[in-house]
Amino acid sequence: MLLEVRGLDVRYGRTHAVRSVDLDLAEGEIVTVLGANGAGKTSLLRALQGAVRAADGSIRFAGEDLTHASPADRVRRGMMLVPEGRQIFVSMTVHENLMMGAYLRSDGDWMRDLKEVYDRFPNLAERRDMKASVLSGGEQQMLAIGRALVSRPRLIMLDEPSLGLSPLFVNNLFELIRELNRGGISILLVEQNTAMALETASRGYVLELGRVVLADTAEALAGDPALAAAYLGGHAAAPAAIQTL
Amino acid sequence: MLLLQQLLNGVMLGSVYVTVAVAFTLTIGVLNFLNFTIPTLFMLSGMGAWALTKWGLPLVHTPPFPWPMALLFAIVVTICASLVVERFTFRYMKTKYGDATEHAIPLVSSLGFLLIIENLMRIGYGTEAQRIAAFDWDNTITVGGLFLRVPQLVSLLLALLLVAGLNWVLKHSRIGRGLRAIAENPDAANILGVDSRRLVPVIFTLTGVLCGLAGILFAINYGEVSPTMGEDIGSKAIAGMVIGGLGSIWGAVLGGLIIGIAEMLTIHFFGADTVQVAVWGLLLIALFVRPQGLLGHHSIGKGKL
Ligand SMILES: Nc1ncnc2c1ncn2[C@@H]1O[C@H](COP(=O)(O)OP(=O)(O)OP(=O)(O)O)[C@@H](O)[C@H]1O
Ligand SMILES: [Mg+2]
Repeated sequence: MLLEVRGLDVRYGRTHAVRSVDLDLAEGEIVTVLGANGAGKTSLLRALQGAVRAADGSIRFAGEDLTHASPADRVRRGMMLVPEGRQIFVSMTVHENLMMGAYLRSDGDWMRDLKEVYDRFPNLAERRDMKASVLSGGEQQMLAIGRALVSRPRLIMLDEPSLGLSPLFVNNLFELIRELNRGGISILLVEQNTAMALETASRGYVLELGRVVLADTAEALAGDPALAAAYLGGHAAAPAAIQTL
Repeated sequence: MLLLQQLLNGVMLGSVYVTVAVAFTLTIGVLNFLNFTIPTLFMLSGMGAWALTKWGLPLVHTPPFPWPMALLFAIVVTICASLVVERFTFRYMKTKYGDATEHAIPLVSSLGFLLIIENLMRIGYGTEAQRIAAFDWDNTITVGGLFLRVPQLVSLLLALLLVAGLNWVLKHSRIGRGLRAIAENPDAANILGVDSRRLVPVIFTLTGVLCGLAGILFAINYGEVSPTMGEDIGSKAIAGMVIGGLGSIWGAVLGGLIIGIAEMLTIHFFGADTVQVAVWGLLLIALFVRPQGLLGHHSIGKGKL
């Protein structure tokens, strides 16, 4: 397994956001994590990247125990989170944002990876020296993913990448995710767009109040009425998304 | 002619404010933290330079230092003091509560450091202003009827050079990008592997360099230091920083110079008693007219580099 999570707990004071989560991801896999608002998806990803502390449990990546490692150590070993809401640096240029992805790279090859990102996203190449604040929402998402790619990750964790994008752009985004995966990058995908996520992933986990309530292949989950149930009490758009499955 | 001379003096005086204002800007811009120890570090450097030329190191009783060595040593001491402050205000809070910026505690504990260091100085060396004999040489040159003091000229150039260098580092180096990333979005920076525990001491080292330099420049220029020399400079540097634009380094430069010139012109026209009124009046007017400052793009409270 590339990623092995066992009994992971995340707490914020009295809030118990992630409860004893077990999760596996094999090298080359696309795995999705679904759940209603507040289910603990973001907390799970942030704990995996080390942005919040794991209150309990263990995280192994590529055979190493990284439960207590700093985010920097996790980045060096090939984990990279594309955070919810993109979190690009709007006061920096597009180019500087991409260079932030290479912040820890000490090998000389990052320039080549950066060029590859420009080849992949010509829009970003055109706006190279502009402030990232002028980019459209879709371009910002490309920038956030591009920034992650420059770190040359083995695993990319995407937190609701389709949020706020037009339907056309959402299609492109999922196509991009499949393409990156074919290129050898493993993907952990958190999504509210359950239909698209289950089409793209091979397996999925469903979180409810911080707990894994379902874990199955994507096909099985797509037909499971329990998935819809997990979204009841979630946000209003979710049941509609389920019906389109 | 006299007016021109005063303008020139104002620019020279301003160079001390510039250096201190840039130190404030750096910590506010990156860490969102008003470091109250900055005026004390400035004083520590000036007093240190004096004590070293006169007495040598305290406690171990070395002979007095020759002045170039004393100046260098004063800067080193100031940098060390700044790192001690970092250790016990910022880092302590960060490791204890995860985020130092959300708490008023570093602010208050930096205020504590200010009072402690200042009072230690008073206990050790008394409260009077001290003349530094080493700087009692004649160092004026005349250019076109205007008097220029060489150390002042050197300090202005050094200050501008230092700020230009700092600006370059922030814009074009990896460390600079890391610092700007922390300034804009500490959480995103953290996720990308920017380790603030390693970068924050860089900020405090730079603060030490800036304050140390400002302190010895002040000592050389006026040949006189005292344990209270930081108070006045500190408040004027803050005023300069706000007028120039919070979070903008060149804004701090401009603001510092403006305060220096305003001070000299006020003395020229109205006498020394009115300086405080003029400086703070200027600040209030500036805040009404342009709250984001002359070169700042954000309004007060969102200091970002
Ligand atoms: N920094 C925080 N401090 C305190 N509580 C938090 C914090 N972040 C999240 N929580 C709480 O933890 C729980 C899980 O939140 P989380 O953001 O992980 O959910 P999510 O599944 O990502 O939701 P969404 O779909 O809205 O993004 C929620 O109850 C939330 O209020
Ligand atoms: Mg979330």
